[in-house]
This record gives sequence, structure tokens and C-alpha cells, in this order.
Amino acid sequence: MNTTLILARRAFREGIRQPDALLPTLFIPLFFLIVNVGQAAKIFPTSGTPFLAGQNYAAFQLPMSLITAASFGTAALYLVEEIEGGYFDKLRATPIPRASIVLGRLLAEVPKSILISTVMILVAFPFGVRIRAGIGGYLLIVLLIAGWALVFSGLMQLLALKTRSAAATNSGSLVFFPLLFLTPSLVPREQLSRPMEIAASLNPVTYVMETARSLTLYGYQWATIGRGFLVVGVGLAATLALSVRAVNRYD
Amino acid sequence: MTTTPAIQATELVKTYSGKDGEVQAVRGVSLSVEPGGIFGFLGPNGAGKSTTVRMLTTLMTITSGRAIVAGIDVASDPDGVRNKIGVALQEAGLDLRQTGRELLQLQGRLFAMSAADAATRADELLELVELTDAADRRIQGYSGGMKRRLDLASALVHRPEVLFLDEPTTGLDPASRIVVWDEVRRINEAGTTVFLTTQYLEEADQLCDQLAIIDAGLIIREGSPQALKDELAARVDLGREPSLDDVFLDATGRTRDRVAGQVQEVRS
Repeated sequence: MNTTLILARRAFREGIRQPDALLPTLFIPLFFLIVNVGQAAKIFPTSGTPFLAGQNYAAFQLPMSLITAASFGTAALYLVEEIEGGYFDKLRATPIPRASIVLGRLLAEVPKSILISTVMILVAFPFGVRIRAGIGGYLLIVLLIAGWALVFSGLMQLLALKTRSAAATNSGSLVFFPLLFLTPSLVPREQLSRPMEIAASLNPVTYVMETARSLTLYGYQWATIGRGFLVVGVGLAATLALSVRAVNRYD
Repeated sequence: MTTTPAIQATELVKTYSGKDGEVQAVRGVSLSVEPGGIFGFLGPNGAGKSTTVRMLTTLMTITSGRAIVAGIDVASDPDGVRNKIGVALQEAGLDLRQTGRELLQLQGRLFAMSAADAATRADELLELVELTDAADRRIQGYSGGMKRRLDLASALVHRPEVLFLDEPTTGLDPASRIVVWDEVRRINEAGTTVFLTTQYLEEADQLCDQLAIIDAGLIIREGSPQALKDELAARVDLGREPSLDDVFLDATGRTRDRVAGQVQEVRS
């Protein structure tokens, strides 16, 4: 078996053994969902709010929560813990491609992200939220969100490799967090104020959110879906290339 | 007949870029370690011991100079070297969320063993370091001594020709230290060359056939423990048989007024 898969299996096993690290990933996005819907649902009733396309406001908010959950990856924190504890050097002293060390951890984020996205969609189901694009739409959403989880975790791993510090890696995730809110998180992009619309248009997270939202509310809008997957693809290629470069040059 | 050294370092230099300019942690270390022995590498904190070990074990690039380990050039074929060496660094580098058995099996897989071979080898090693009873417990529950023994075992998974141990007993209680010494002897008797860094002179005296003392990035004494003591006795009258402590102090004493742990700094 490829060393990346061997290390991914180890990382996944660790994730399962640390449910306390997984719970906030589920709890905080659900908390945001409930709070945002609670605050704004009356402003945006199903009838009379065209952008909801017949669903309630929770369906509009669900993609934001899915993306938030995907931005809570633990790969970087475990990596920096291993750097500080010395196990990272132990792995580097084995004759495996060094890229496997970071790619293995990243790969383990995929099933975790799929699991969390599925749980969140199921939780939203009793509240009347439906995926307009059906099963295929659900699959595209979890794939997209898993891709975003890899982009975010890849960036954090890069930070971990560069700083070798748990504190700096933690702070780094806080720096990226505001990006989640410079998005059309409460209303569609065209209804934002002009400065916010410009900021949201420059923010790649916007396109991921709009893709998940279009699949939830409107069905298959291929131009929107294409933009979302392009953003994730480019982000993934860039973060993977930078992470692999960083681990290969680690001294 | 001449034997190929297990480790041959020639004029090794490691330079870092610091905030105030260049820092030379190792300034031209040359040493030769014969196969089958236990080689002790001594020095005060910050003398360059760990940096030298990290260069020899492929974990750090070499600024200049050359290192051959187990007959393979470290710089040009690091994976070749990694297949021939075992490494146990200063911190017991372990993944605390795994069990001892899982850690050893994983290590075996990373050295290209099949799952069945890795499982068999893990069982052998757990028995060797007397951790069979704790094999299926998570490592985070192990004592310091148990972690050290597991770290040693993980360095032996692929039957290395040369074993690097960087301060293997630092932080251990005396009983655990003796257990680790016994393990090191046993490993060496099985044919593995051991390169050991330590700050404990008694440890070096007990275990090592050959020693080198490094200070400020340079080797300042080299030889067998007895030869180093004899050399000091011939040069200085202490009124008693010199100990390895005396040798160490004599070698490094000229820098006693320097702050312990500092490395030489060279402004570029």
C-alpha cells in the first residue's frame, strides 16, 4: 500500500480517537446556523423572498455552515504537535517520500469532512431543508466541501511547517476565519452593499458558497458549479504544491 | 585488512542564518566510527552534538563537508542512508495516540514491509524491549522509561546497520537509565554499530569503546575512554586516577566562563 494511504489511515484512526476534537467542528457551525436563521428568518420569509426559491432561510444558510465546518480541520494541529514532539523527525528519517507525511494527513480530512457534511445536512432535513439537485447534488456538495477542507487544511499545514509552532498555527487559522464572513453569507451577492460586493467577489470562498447554495436551492447551474470547483481545484493545486515544497525543504 | 568505517565525516559544517547574521553550529567536524562498536559523542549543551547527528541522519542539510554512513553518501543518497540507519532522537519521537504495537507496525510498513511481516517484527521487538504487556495500550499512558524503550524498538524495526541515539537517557530515573543501557548493549552485541550522544559521562564510560568530545562546533578530544584518561594523567598530576569527568572538564574547561549552551556566533 502506498505510504500516503498508510499514513492517512493512521491519521484517520487518530481523528476517531479524539472525538473531543471533532465535536466543536460539528457544534460551532450548527450553532451559527441556528443563530443566523433565528435572527434573519423573519426578514426573509419563504413566500416573498425570491432567492429562497420556495425553501426556508435555513436552506440558504446551510452552505455557510458546511464551509465553516470544513475550515476546522485538525490536520495542521496534529502535524505541529508532531513537529514539536519529535515524531515528525522520526517519519522524516524513514525512506518514504516526504510529501506522504503531509498528504497522508490531508487525505484523512476527506472522509472526516464527508461525514460531518452528511451529518449537518441530515440535521437540517427535519427543518425542511432539501437539496434541490437531489442525490447528485448532495454528492457534489460533499465533494466540493471536502475539497475546500483540503484547501484550508493544506494552508494550515503550510503554516505549521513554516512556523513549527502550535501557537502560530492556531493564530493563523484565526486570520483566515474572517474570509468566511467576507462572503454573501446572509443575502445573495447582488444584494450586498457595493464595497461588500467587491470584497465578496474577490474572496474565493464566495464561489464555493455560491456553488453549494445553488445546488441546495436551484438545482444544477453549471456555470456556478464550474466556478466553485475551479476555485477549489486551483486552491488545492496551490496549497498542495506549496506544502510539498515546504516539507521537502524542511531542514 | 582495513574495514570500511560505519560512519565517516569529513569537515562537516552547519551554518544557520540568524537574526544577527550567520551562526555556525558545527565548524568542521571530522570523525570516523568503526563498525560494530559503540561510539560516544560528548559535549556541553549547544556544542553541536545534535546538529551533527541531524546531519548524519539526513534530517538536516550539510552546509559543507561530506558524510558517509553505512557506506552511502548522506547528501547524494539520503533514502539509501535511511534504509541503513535507525534513529532515536532527544525527545522520544512517538505518536502518543497510537498503541505501541500500532506504532511499530506502522514503522515497519514505512520501511516497505508487508503487513504480516510488520506485525511479526513488532511482536519480536515488543518482546525485546519488554513491552508486550503494554503493547495494546495507547502510548500516552506509558512512563518515560517505557516510551524510551519503545522509541529504541521503533528505531530497530528494519534491522539497521547503524543506530543513532541522541541523549537516550536524558530525563530518565536511574533505574530506567540502566534498563536503556542494557538494551543498547544488547543491540550492539547483535552487531549494530551505535552512535550515542550523551551529557552523562558515566554513561559514556559504561557503554562506549570510542569517544569524541565536541565543543563550540569542533572536536576537541577523541579516543577510547581509557586512552583519554591516560593522556590526561600523563599531562596533569591530579593526585588520583583521572575520571572521564576530569577529561571532559580539561577539554572544555577553557571555555568555562562562556555561557553554557551558547554556540559560537560569526557575524557575516
